[in-house]
Amino acid sequence: MKYIVDFVIKYNKWVIVVTLCVTAVFGYFLKDIRINPDITSYLPEDEEVVRLFNYVGEEYGGNLLAMVVIETDDLFNRETIKQISELTSELLLLDGVSSVTSLSNILDIRAGDEGIEIRPLIDEYDLPTTVEELKRLKKYVLSKNIYRGSLVSDDAQATLIVCRLQGDADEVETARAIKEVVREKELKEKIYFGGLPFLMLDINNIVVKDLLFLLPLVGLLIIFALFISFRTVRGVVFPLISVLMSCVWTIGLMSLLKIPLTIITNIIPIILFAVGSAYSIHVISKLSEQDQISGVTPEDYYKERLKSVILPVALAASTTIIGFLSFILGSYLNMIKEFGIFAGVGIFSSFIISVTFIPAALSVLKRSDAAGHLKDEKQKLLIRKNRLTEMIIKRPLPFILFGIIFVVASLFGIPRIQREVDLLDYFKKGTAIRSSEEVIKQKFGGSMPIQILVKGEIQSPEVLKAMKEMERFLDAQDGVHNIQSVADLIEEMSYVIGEGRKIPDTRAKVTNLWFLLEGEEIMAQLVDPEYTEAVIQATLGSGLEIHKVKRLVEALDGYIKEKNSPFCSFEQTGMPLVHLKLDESIRKSQLQSLAIAAISIFILLLFLLRSLSGGLIGLIPIGFSLSVVFGAMGYFNIPLDIATVLVGSICIGIGVDYSIHFLARYRLEFRKKKEVNAAVLKTLQTTGKAIVINVLTVTIGFLVLLFANLIPLQRFGVLIAVTMLGSGFGAVVIIPAVIVLSRIHFIKERRER
Amino acid sequence: MKRRLILGFLWIFLINPFNYIRADVETPSAVEILKKVDDTLFSPKDQKLLMKLLLIDKDGNEKTRSIRIYQKGSEKRLAKFLSPADQKGIAFLSLPDGVMYLYLPAYEKVRRIASHVRNNKFAGTDFTYEDMEAGRYTEKWNPELVENNGESFVLQLLPKEGTETKYSKLKIWVDPDNFFVTRIEYYDKKGSLRKIMTRTKIKQIKGYWVAEESEMYDLKAKHKTRMILEEVEFDTELKDDLFTERYLMR
Repeated sequence: MKYIVDFVIKYNKWVIVVTLCVTAVFGYFLKDIRINPDITSYLPEDEEVVRLFNYVGEEYGGNLLAMVVIETDDLFNRETIKQISELTSELLLLDGVSSVTSLSNILDIRAGDEGIEIRPLIDEYDLPTTVEELKRLKKYVLSKNIYRGSLVSDDAQATLIVCRLQGDADEVETARAIKEVVREKELKEKIYFGGLPFLMLDINNIVVKDLLFLLPLVGLLIIFALFISFRTVRGVVFPLISVLMSCVWTIGLMSLLKIPLTIITNIIPIILFAVGSAYSIHVISKLSEQDQISGVTPEDYYKERLKSVILPVALAASTTIIGFLSFILGSYLNMIKEFGIFAGVGIFSSFIISVTFIPAALSVLKRSDAAGHLKDEKQKLLIRKNRLTEMIIKRPLPFILFGIIFVVASLFGIPRIQREVDLLDYFKKGTAIRSSEEVIKQKFGGSMPIQILVKGEIQSPEVLKAMKEMERFLDAQDGVHNIQSVADLIEEMSYVIGEGRKIPDTRAKVTNLWFLLEGEEIMAQLVDPEYTEAVIQATLGSGLEIHKVKRLVEALDGYIKEKNSPFCSFEQTGMPLVHLKLDESIRKSQLQSLAIAAISIFILLLFLLRSLSGGLIGLIPIGFSLSVVFGAMGYFNIPLDIATVLVGSICIGIGVDYSIHFLARYRLEFRKKKEVNAAVLKTLQTTGKAIVINVLTVTIGFLVLLFANLIPLQRFGVLIAVTMLGSGFGAVVIIPAVIVLSRIHFIKERRER
Repeated sequence: MKRRLILGFLWIFLINPFNYIRADVETPSAVEILKKVDDTLFSPKDQKLLMKLLLIDKDGNEKTRSIRIYQKGSEKRLAKFLSPADQKGIAFLSLPDGVMYLYLPAYEKVRRIASHVRNNKFAGTDFTYEDMEAGRYTEKWNPELVENNGESFVLQLLPKEGTETKYSKLKIWVDPDNFFVTRIEYYDKKGSLRKIMTRTKIKQIKGYWVAEESEMYDLKAKHKTRMILEEVEFDTELKDDLFTERYLMR
């Protein structure tokens, strides 16, 4: 410790230069930062569900569907049909789009006047123009089940253009390009964009927008808080610089390591603003203390103060880092692991900057009066709080009872906690993306892909029949629509050659019909080139509650188990399964990371206080705030989602700081005063006060997330605010009440033995 | 200085243009080239071919099929699949005015099929029906000579008004000795190169030029079709009753 302090002071100019250089280097890499809005990539790739989902995506022309909905009074008018046809050809030209299916080019198999016709529904060189032709087309389309309700709505007012993205496509760029092509047409029809690629595009935009809007807002609030506390330019500028630098280091490092931002790692800068700023504030405020110079040189005194502040700040930082790092072991979602790692890195860099760059810079500037007015402020607040502190000391029991009642009531809320993984629910109601998904769900049965992978000799009639049975089973499930497979096409072919709509009974007949379909674009989406594997494609409306998704997945699993045979086996994949996996892993993440964080913090407390009861008392604020926060989630219907799952461990990591500060001060005061009440009172008046100020600034910092555009971030902000208030309350009300009541002076006994 | 300037002008305006004029005299016009290309394409009265098709996907997996083709003039064509086993016996008959018949051996039935499936791929190959359409280039395209490098004439073909095509332009490489097309590039409506056809092992048989191997490469699908001419006979006086439904079933 002494070495660090001496070094920082002796080479203060070098410390500044090196810090600025490091910042410049990381700052340079900021330009390369990418955003990854693809939720499937958040799951580990060796996960079976993800592997299968990606496999189907790669082998069958991509499983990401970008849907353009065209809505008007009656689709079947000359102009609209022409636009659909033109859009279809133009969208197909885009990089990243592997195929486009629309009213104009969908494969139509029929027995026409001139014989069997296998061709696009509408000939792009001979578009229907007369009223008569359009009427005939409308009647035909609405009479066919494969079009009605999946490609054209029942009321013939809306139709879909479905772009299937290539497996290796950049979803966001492709979605953007599709929107651009559609916009350029300046259609007078109403247009909606739906499906995962557009969701991702929106998330991508929102991540950027949120960062650019929220960060300055938190910055402003902190400037305001700093100015109130310090009333000097220096006191505002240095903490701000240190926070900005730690943001640059962290995000720069992510960029350097080619790790893109996700919808949750973009909170890291906000966390650094709210939490990391505390470290430099501590350092600045300690270094600015001017009193009690007794015969030491100013420089030695400066070093002394620096030494005395590094330890508590290091402790605070390390507990917070432990909280974040618990996600690495505890979580199985990549996104959350990354969050844990880089939030930890960010806190660490904040700490390093606070104990090197800040003191170095201050020592260069020589005598600082950064906290000149802090004393007066403290004094004023102190008087106002005295009544409460006295009450705690005189009558501790009611406070403890209040705490217990609160915790018990909260515990009853915990079983009610819902979980949410559907990306769509992350958007606020009324946003464009939500209303388009609503339209797609209502009129076309949804945009979420479900796939059943079939293995066997696909051209054998038995396998095709088994596929048809599977389709009938799927069709009977709630929310499943647009079921499609090569078996349907074979049935349709059999129908047009006059043999009835059925799977032929010999393999030779199947292969004859198959020959006619060969080379059709849709075949590549339904069957592999060797004919040993096929997929049954279907869609599910998004926004389906997770328990319904679970029921569907389980029903399918059960059916598959029953039907699988050596000659034909099924496997399911698709978005519902990915969602279920996400849900499961969120739950697992929550329990594991909480347990890891709690255990490691407890060990740390034991080590610090060298007392079992001390460690347990230190856990009080955490236990209190955890139960309050989970209770609030239960009672106020705040679901566990990809962001709120982080709250628990962060709560432990940040909240324990208050316990440490309080108990450390109490130990110090008890050693001086040898009397519990007096020591508690003194602790409350000094450290208690600082805790309250810190709780309030951090709370305000996180409440800024209420202005975020993604709902999980809003919830995250509120919940962190709740945990901060909860752990603050635990530390300055319940801990002192427990100490006063139990007369515990564990610290002294241990110390003197 | 002044003299040099005058000489420079003289060189640019007199000597150099003279060279161009001379080159013009030697090189036929784009339209003339394309006409000759059409003439070489449609010279035989009839032909009898045995063709092997190799379909090669992006991972290099191959599928083979062989087809026997009889063609008379440019409008009568009979194609019979000989292999693979499960396609053996499937046959197509194209007659004038877009009349097309299909024979499915497993059903022992002939069905008439509509032939306006222009931009669909043919039987799993990279050729669309448009690519295989037997039409004269000069009827559909306006040519422009973009390069004459001594080895080939490179023509850029833009669709004539009213031409129904998926392509915004074609580029064809023509051998100046025999006016045989050795390479075709197909550009989509966005102007990007979509497919490349190359013809190799060019031979003269009975006075007609043929490529024993041709390959179509689809750049977007990364899929290839290689066509190997195993047997070819020209002007064997094919009889008209070959091109009937009855023969289709045999």
